[in-house]
Amino acid sequence: MSESILKLTDITKVYPNGTVANRDINMEFEKGEIHSIVGENGAGKSTLMKMIFGIEKPSSGTIEYKGSEVHFQSSLDAIAVGIGMVHQHFMLIPSYSIVDNIILGDEPNKLCFLDRKSAIKKTQDLSDKYNFELDVTAKVSTLSVAKRQKVEILKTLYRDAELIILDEPTSVLTPQETDILFDQLKSFKQQGKTIIFISHKLDEVKKISDRISVIRNGVSKGTYLNEELSMDQLTNLIIGRNLDNDMDEYKTHEDFHNAHALEIKDIFLGNPEKPQLNHVSFAVKNGEILGVAGVEGNGQVDLVHCIVGSQKAKYTGTIEILGKNATKMNVKQRRNIGMAYIPEDRIGDGIAGSLPISDNLISSYYDRADINSGLFMNQKKINELSDELIENFAVKTENRNITVESLSGGNVQKVVVAREYNTNAKMMIAEQPTHGIDIGSAETVHHKLIEMRNAGAGILLVSADLDEVINLSDRIIVMYNGEISGYFPDVKKVNAQELGLYMLGVKHQTPEEIGGAMND
Amino acid sequence: MIASVFKMFGSASFWALLLRLATPILFAAMGAFVSSASGIANIAIEAIMTLSALGGVLGSYFTQSALMGCVIGLIVGILSALLISLFSMKLGASPILVGIALNTFADSLAIFILYTITGQKGTSASLKTPTLGSVDIPVLKDIPFIGQIFSGHYVTTYICWLVIILTAIMIYKTPLGLRIRSCGLNDQAAETAGINVNKMRVLALALSGVYAGFGGLFLSLNSIGLFSKGMVSGLGWMGIAANGIASSNFVILILSSLVFAVFRAVSAIFSTNQAFPTDLVNALPYFAVIVILIVTGVVKRIGQRKGSNDVVLGEVRDKHRH
Repeated sequence: MSESILKLTDITKVYPNGTVANRDINMEFEKGEIHSIVGENGAGKSTLMKMIFGIEKPSSGTIEYKGSEVHFQSSLDAIAVGIGMVHQHFMLIPSYSIVDNIILGDEPNKLCFLDRKSAIKKTQDLSDKYNFELDVTAKVSTLSVAKRQKVEILKTLYRDAELIILDEPTSVLTPQETDILFDQLKSFKQQGKTIIFISHKLDEVKKISDRISVIRNGVSKGTYLNEELSMDQLTNLIIGRNLDNDMDEYKTHEDFHNAHALEIKDIFLGNPEKPQLNHVSFAVKNGEILGVAGVEGNGQVDLVHCIVGSQKAKYTGTIEILGKNATKMNVKQRRNIGMAYIPEDRIGDGIAGSLPISDNLISSYYDRADINSGLFMNQKKINELSDELIENFAVKTENRNITVESLSGGNVQKVVVAREYNTNAKMMIAEQPTHGIDIGSAETVHHKLIEMRNAGAGILLVSADLDEVINLSDRIIVMYNGEISGYFPDVKKVNAQELGLYMLGVKHQTPEEIGGAMND
Repeated sequence: MIASVFKMFGSASFWALLLRLATPILFAAMGAFVSSASGIANIAIEAIMTLSALGGVLGSYFTQSALMGCVIGLIVGILSALLISLFSMKLGASPILVGIALNTFADSLAIFILYTITGQKGTSASLKTPTLGSVDIPVLKDIPFIGQIFSGHYVTTYICWLVIILTAIMIYKTPLGLRIRSCGLNDQAAETAGINVNKMRVLALALSGVYAGFGGLFLSLNSIGLFSKGMVSGLGWMGIAANGIASSNFVILILSSLVFAVFRAVSAIFSTNQAFPTDLVNALPYFAVIVILIVTGVVKRIGQRKGSNDVVLGEVRDKHRH
């Protein structure tokens, strides 16, 4: 095609603890292309990007940028030669204005004072040039996730980046927002900028890329022209086998007499002018998965707090769990009547990191009679249970005594799901159950959720990943601005585009239609 | 009694007293502010003030120059503050623990040094120490009332207000301020924007040492040039409390320091009045700190419950954001 802008030769990265993150990676990026890098979580994509961006140094091998070898000491050096990176977790300061966030580290100044006037002009011009539709004097805390991402992209453009790395940029966007992002990426490409696009959503990768590189277990599996690669070949390269995507065939269809596992009536949270949850009502039946879709920050987190019984949520309305009124119960009481919970923040809320896997596998039912005699823990029973769960959930670990924090994200999540699965609860709240974990682990989690559903449990699935919601759920509700904006009784009749319109608040159903979420 | 309070607030001497008593609290508050803005807590303000106060007196005595004493006091302040960065950033200790260690250590160290040099454990009264003294401001001093309030203060009090203005400009109007604050708000964001976070924090701690150092010098090098045991008596902690209330708002930092100073002034006046038990009156400013901390804490919580995270003392921003 055209000239090479970045060339990686025999890059190997070994961490001090002996983990090999990348081995002999050879890759070449051409000027003006959109080059995707795909691979499972923990395959070594992020480490590779960190080396390109100067955050980590390769143990051996060379990086050539525009034909000359570079040795970055920090990301500052990478920024200086024209490499920019949009991180998966935004590197923004919410209480700063957009302009302050953009100029930070490279501020225009006049006699050692900040020259905000010219900073505002320069950044506003840049934003207008690319149709970002931002008012650069607005505070970042007031922006939607999609707009924050635009600010991150502007940051790299402000620093004249010619090579822009985007790490999982679409994981937080609706389909509509993703389309806008892709249009922008294409316009960058036309201006001669090179884009490195990292993603695990293969359909998006196929849609946007010129070329695709695959990494598996730290080793490069080659670079391919997009049109030469079929979706099946791509999955096969990534996980080394074919993936079973259709969850539907796992679902059985027993009749559980429409009994409700969870009933939410008229939940209201927040102050009257600005409610976080505005009179939300719905029910989850036994033996079904009810999916909750929505852009982050539209009340899903608050909703889960209310249902779980978190101290933070002072709500009005009633919550019934498995036919019992749980409105005034605390978390433990709700668990005792049959609730299980997979929290979004698995590291903060899901595990005790410095404790062994075995302890983490029983922590939500430590007082159950078979493992707790009232005075002593029955260690033998706990060990048996742990080994069984580790095997059943394919947790990759040497033994049950390893601290859970030393596991990879996917395996930590398997521990959490295994524990909640083993409570034998009949009502499960799964909050972002596969966010940021590898495809293999996600598949395990999905299968186990469906197994619980088939056994008659009612599952509330809250996820920002639309594909997940559509693949797993029986019925779907969409949340927008603290309310249910749409209810879809039959998942087979919805598509992602349609859901996207409800997620963005463009469309809104009538109260009668939404009422189905409770009464169907 | 209420009448006498009103009379007090109407007198120029009260306001002059307030400005004087506010000085060390303001310095301490700025010291706590600048370090916490950079994301590293300096709770050793009290210790730094003690060591600087002693360093200033000794420096001034040995060089027989108040100015040199001042310079040495500030160097002591900077070095003590940098101990926090050495132990916490280089050696991995918690800055809070380092702060506690410094606070418990400083008083005894000061007495040890004092005893080694003077043979006395209580005060440095035996050392003949030049002081910075006070200044009358021409023209202003002749204006009735206003002149009484604003003229004739110690040099360090004027320096204090100059430093407040310079600090406000530094924090909000220069690239340096933007960078220091970014390190405290999201150090990863600062790092990826190419800012050396550790460098910023060392710088902020050094600045914090300068502020606390001035606070100490105000106590020991003003009128009589004397270091005495326990002379900082919680003023550093008041500064830290003011910083806690301010939650990274510089204007509120200054205002809350001034409120604490009002209680110090009231306490100073009432302690001369035989009608009140002296010990109780002396405790008034510290009691006020506790009450004010509770009240502002409650106000902030109410603000948060109203559904906004951007709350500054009940002022809710962006009420209707979309």
